[in-house]
Amino acid sequence: MKTKVVPTIKLYDYLIAPIQIELDDATVEKLQMQLLNEINEKNIRGVVLDVSMVDVIDSYISFVLSETAGMAKAMGCHTVICGIQPQVALTLAQMGVKLKDIFTASSLEDAMDILNRLD
Amino acid sequence: MIDVNPQDYDIVLKIKDENDIAVSRQMVKSFAQKHNFSLADVTKITTTVSELARNIYRYAKEGYIYVRKKETGADKAVSIEILACDRGPGIENVELAVVGGYTTVERSLGLGLSGIRRLMDSFNIKSEVGKGTVVAVEKRRRGF
Amino acid sequence: MKDKIISRLDELVEELAKGDEQKKAWEDFLVDFAEVCGKADFKEELKAPISNLLQYISEKELSEGIGLLYAKIDNFPAVDIYKAFIEVLGEINRENQMRITELRDILAELATPIIRLWQDVLLVPIIGTLDSQRAQSMAEKLLESTAATRAKFVIVDVTGVPVIDTIVGGFLIEMFSAVKLLGSDVILTGIKPEIAHTLVKLGVDFNMVIIKRDLESALTYAVSISAENTGRKLLNHERGNADED
Repeated sequence: MKTKVVPTIKLYDYLIAPIQIELDDATVEKLQMQLLNEINEKNIRGVVLDVSMVDVIDSYISFVLSETAGMAKAMGCHTVICGIQPQVALTLAQMGVKLKDIFTASSLEDAMDILNRLD
Repeated sequence: MIDVNPQDYDIVLKIKDENDIAVSRQMVKSFAQKHNFSLADVTKITTTVSELARNIYRYAKEGYIYVRKKETGADKAVSIEILACDRGPGIENVELAVVGGYTTVERSLGLGLSGIRRLMDSFNIKSEVGKGTVVAVEKRRRGF
Repeated sequence: MKDKIISRLDELVEELAKGDEQKKAWEDFLVDFAEVCGKADFKEELKAPISNLLQYISEKELSEGIGLLYAKIDNFPAVDIYKAFIEVLGEINRENQMRITELRDILAELATPIIRLWQDVLLVPIIGTLDSQRAQSMAEKLLESTAATRAKFVIVDVTGVPVIDTIVGGFLIEMFSAVKLLGSDVILTGIKPEIAHTLVKLGVDFNMVIIKRDLESALTYAVSISAENTGRKLLNHERGNADED
């Protein structure tokens, strides 16, 4: 197994990644590699990123997350993000950041619902 | 570019490697919290510093971020002032750089400077090619 | 100085005052003035009498009065009185500013109620003009409620907003994008013809939200979608149970 930065849970064909660490540049890039590898190895059709513990998402982190979702999409896998903190959402919106290729959900349940509907 | 006396500031951060981005974020976050900024504004200030630190690291390799609390006017309105200085390559077209979506490097949204401008209450930038860049921003504490 | 004033008090008051109410005010002022005359902190002592006087007469009348006294009385310290006068006005101004700030705080609280209209549906009626400060506070409050209640729909009603220009439109777009990042949908209602007109002219584009004609159709829509989702969930649940058997 290559370096894992976050623990993940496989549920049916879905991969749940609760991000409980601060995302700095190096970590978010490792996370990208980790997710893509797991999608490939475990035949994942949908990834849920739970960012409820993440206090800061800046333009670069958003970029890498969107980029990862785009790569996952190319592998036939949808990406849903849930648990964005209200103040983080405000900051992203005010900066004009758009999370390309990522679906947003209000909770983990909602994220699973969205993935179910997409199939 | 400009003369800065570090003693005028509450926090002086040297940005030299990638780790310094995360460190500066933490320092400024607790500073803004200490001065009773709202949770949303703490996040905006922290995100701003993250962007500024990354710009320094990415384009100039090395530079400083200065942070201080200010009280202005008769009613002592509190604000946080952040100054990011480097002696890097400078920005060729500043006007273009502060417009959203413009970037000179790969793997970037080009929303750093334009985003900061929208997050903060005041935004000033001075840059000279070959000499460096100074970005000064300020966020006022809101009464409610 | 003191004697000069007291001896001519009636005559001076007669000339200065217009109406009985003012007479009493001017008389009090002149007595106080005569009292503090020549004291070291004369200017400071004068502030209270001046602000008392200003409750009965306008600034212009006071200014004219000082001119009159200057003409009537030798060595009348008009400059000192003007200095005190300006400082008093400054204090009154500061008090008013504070009052305005307080009222604005109260307004921000009053003007953006967030109402839970239905299960999973929040309503935010926006009333009045939006400036940057109010928009930011409102967005913070709304985002917190949305996250806390996990509402699926946020209905924003702008019937009470007089103008939506590019700046206000920008605030709204930011707020809507932030709500969407929380995984909720925004339904916008109450756009009047003249606002629709300016929106299109200015190129403000609300394409990221669902727009409904009125609150009724917004709520019908939100409730029907919510019911659909719950219905599907129940169906899945039953199916799950059936599989187990």
